[in-house]
Amino acid sequence: MNGAALLTRGFDRPDLFRIDAYLDTGGYAALRKALTGMTPAAILAEVKAASLRGRGGAGFPAGMKWGFVPQAAGAPRYLCVNADEGEPGTFKDRFILAHTPHLMIEGIILTCYAVGIETAYVYIRGEYEMIARRLEAAVDEARARGFLGKDILESGFNLEIVVHRGAGAYICGEETALLESLEGKRGLPRLKPPFPAVIGLFGRPTVINNVETLANVPLIVQNGAAWFLEQGRPKDGGTRLFGVSGPVVRPGVYELPVGASLRDLIFTHAGGLKPGKTLKAVIPGGLSSPLLKPDEIDVALSCDAVAAAGSMLGSAGVIVIDASTPIIDLLGLVTKFYSHESCGQCTPCRIGTAWIHKIVGRIAAGEGCPADLDEILRLAENIKGRTLCPLGDAAALPILAIVRKFRAELEQGMR
Amino acid sequence: MPVIEIDGRTIEAPAGRNVLETAEAAGIAIPHFCYHPAFAAEGSCRMCLVEVEGSPKLELACALVVRDGLKVRTGTTAVREARRSVLEFFLADHPIDCPICDKAGECTLQDYYAAYDMAESRGREPKERRDKLVRIGEKLLLDRERCVLCTRCVRFLAQTTKTRELGVVERGVHAEIATFPGELIRSADSGNLVDLCPVGAITSTDFRFKTRPWFLKHADAICNLCARGCNIFIDHHPGFYRIPGSARIYRVRPRPNDAVNGYFMCDHGRAGFVADHRTGRRERIGGNGTGAAEGAWDWDRALSVAAEKLGALRAAGKGGRIGAILHSGLTNEELGLIRSLLAAVDAGGAAFADPPDGEASGILLLADRTPNRSGASALGFETRGTDPAAVAGRSDLLLVFETNRARVPSGSAAEEALRRAPAKILFTTHETATAGFADLVLPVAAPAENRGSYTNADGRVQPFEAAVLPCLDVRPLADVLTDLARRIGERP
Repeated sequence: MNGAALLTRGFDRPDLFRIDAYLDTGGYAALRKALTGMTPAAILAEVKAASLRGRGGAGFPAGMKWGFVPQAAGAPRYLCVNADEGEPGTFKDRFILAHTPHLMIEGIILTCYAVGIETAYVYIRGEYEMIARRLEAAVDEARARGFLGKDILESGFNLEIVVHRGAGAYICGEETALLESLEGKRGLPRLKPPFPAVIGLFGRPTVINNVETLANVPLIVQNGAAWFLEQGRPKDGGTRLFGVSGPVVRPGVYELPVGASLRDLIFTHAGGLKPGKTLKAVIPGGLSSPLLKPDEIDVALSCDAVAAAGSMLGSAGVIVIDASTPIIDLLGLVTKFYSHESCGQCTPCRIGTAWIHKIVGRIAAGEGCPADLDEILRLAENIKGRTLCPLGDAAALPILAIVRKFRAELEQGMR
Repeated sequence: MPVIEIDGRTIEAPAGRNVLETAEAAGIAIPHFCYHPAFAAEGSCRMCLVEVEGSPKLELACALVVRDGLKVRTGTTAVREARRSVLEFFLADHPIDCPICDKAGECTLQDYYAAYDMAESRGREPKERRDKLVRIGEKLLLDRERCVLCTRCVRFLAQTTKTRELGVVERGVHAEIATFPGELIRSADSGNLVDLCPVGAITSTDFRFKTRPWFLKHADAICNLCARGCNIFIDHHPGFYRIPGSARIYRVRPRPNDAVNGYFMCDHGRAGFVADHRTGRRERIGGNGTGAAEGAWDWDRALSVAAEKLGALRAAGKGGRIGAILHSGLTNEELGLIRSLLAAVDAGGAAFADPPDGEASGILLLADRTPNRSGASALGFETRGTDPAAVAGRSDLLLVFETNRARVPSGSAAEEALRRAPAKILFTTHETATAGFADLVLPVAAPAENRGSYTNADGRVQPFEAAVLPCLDVRPLADVLTDLARRIGERP
């Protein structure tokens, strides 16, 4: 990783996942500062002022989300940490969990202190076996040092963290499906409103944040909102972890300030494409984000700027696609993934994604015609904005972008 | 109450009500599959999307609660397009086997297709193939190709009966309704699943392939199988005049009434009501030991005989030796006439021979399996505590009233006493054991052929009209009693 080292502070130490190494690099100082000298309201105000946008995909301001929890509703309130990193092309939360789990734990403790929460659940992707065990060990370490449990740092504040492993459904990364799954039910998204901040886990007010979002909280508490904003953009503070995959010279996770250039990320930090490869398209924020053509990648990597370019920063999982990849293969992968991962609850997503996948399969088999592409566009438009949860849009938007931007290639060879 | 605007009309609605029901109450239909007023909004079928002023996306009418100033439009191009598209999605995988589907004619998908779509199929892709004949209950079959996954059935068993036999298994386009492997629905309210199913996915073996819904007429009625008095529809076939009227009853269904049964009825009532009308009926007047052949009787002669017997005892000052064995399935009107008649002849006493109490389900079915005990009590009858055997033992003439359910039990002391009594006149809907030895057997109308009222366990008086005509000699009991009273010189 190059550029700023905020979330990746101390990464030169291979044992950073241990609490002693984390403490050596200044860990839990923010917690000490908060519990000895800041009110919960002050922390909430600081995070709001820092314009910390959610790192899970939607980019919703975290401080505002916390503010939706009705304090009058009383206890218990819950924090659910979304560590079900399932978005294809995204591998930055596992990076935090594997290398600096205490940074997230410190963020959890600060968040819970700010919102008045005494139980936090980490819903971790089932496939993250080693990482889940490492996180459980880290939680135990934190408890042994008095950062978790009763009367943390003699502040009177209590908190327990429960690590819960998912079972491999993409939909459980959708926040309300995550809650259902955590409650032991089928992972089906809930109808909103009511929003989780009001009625969430076990019917109680619940904050749901992404791993990386929470990992930023200690930085904000330690250094202040003004400093955090300086690291990024005025309405989108801090740095982000970008996961770059595809045929680039140096694929991996890069920490860069919010607002860094997508072109620089690919061609400078990731070393550009491998010899002999040329750029065909870039998916900037996980598979759900509409892809960008090579002439569209001079875009600043902030939520608003990527949205203005017609895509979304999403989970910042940057997938580089080279010219040798047939676009029909990419389209087939997208439709296969979303039709497979559709929970089946609502009609347009359940039937629409499978229908489109069948059409794409026919085109891939050489039996397509240009009218099929219009049919795909029509069906995707009928999914978009009409489903129960964001999965419908997550499926429709990349499909629409691929067909619209690569129609000529898709029509090649069609009769 | 919040005032909202739907399609330019100003409508007042109680706070907390959703837009879908508000519109429906005002005569504006909003199509829907998953929404049912008995359950909270599910929001999964996406059929009820409407346009709301100030909202960038279409909103669900089922989940949108009325608030002052809300402006809703249900007829815009965007709404029509959304409806068509949801219907297209459903129909893409639907077998469209309406010609052999029991639900055709009362199918929501079929109706909405006619109302909102009528488009040619654009699908070129093969439809999903699923199991079409899955037994999910003793009388319930599931056709998974017809299913629209509205999950009303799942929610009914989860929320209303709390028996949870059905669930959704698998994911995405492979999602389907299923029981646990090898298990069937055991709920005693499972017939409601057929009514709840908006399409022909769940059908009843009782009704399957028997007739087409468009042949059926629907009459309002009250179920008589327990003291709840569920409001029901009797779905009957008006044609085929050679088939006796009550045999033309194909099914009964719950008729919504928030104060009594909500939207449901139990399987005991559903099956029992139809069965009681279809089998074992007594439809001819007859007498035992009178030497008259079957068919030789008519009402005039039968009632003359009855009036003569009653009149003779009264004239002899032996009215006290006239007794009656009643039941709590008689209507208020019938019980009133009986009370007058017994008073007119200075009768001795009356006892009730009711079906024994069963188990209450905790949902609708009550332990008391009679429909009008409250009514009988209100009319001064003691329905429990008076022994029919004692009344029979001290009577020279007995007026006995029986049905399929309310019978003097075979082999009981009451039956023994009844057999020994010098004379007995039976008013019955069914061919009972008593009919084998009563001096006079008078066939009377079963509930679907009858009119009157029952007072349910909560004291609610519920009137009902005849749905079908009785056949052969059968007459409504109230008419018979009125006639009889007139013959003994009384004006009831």
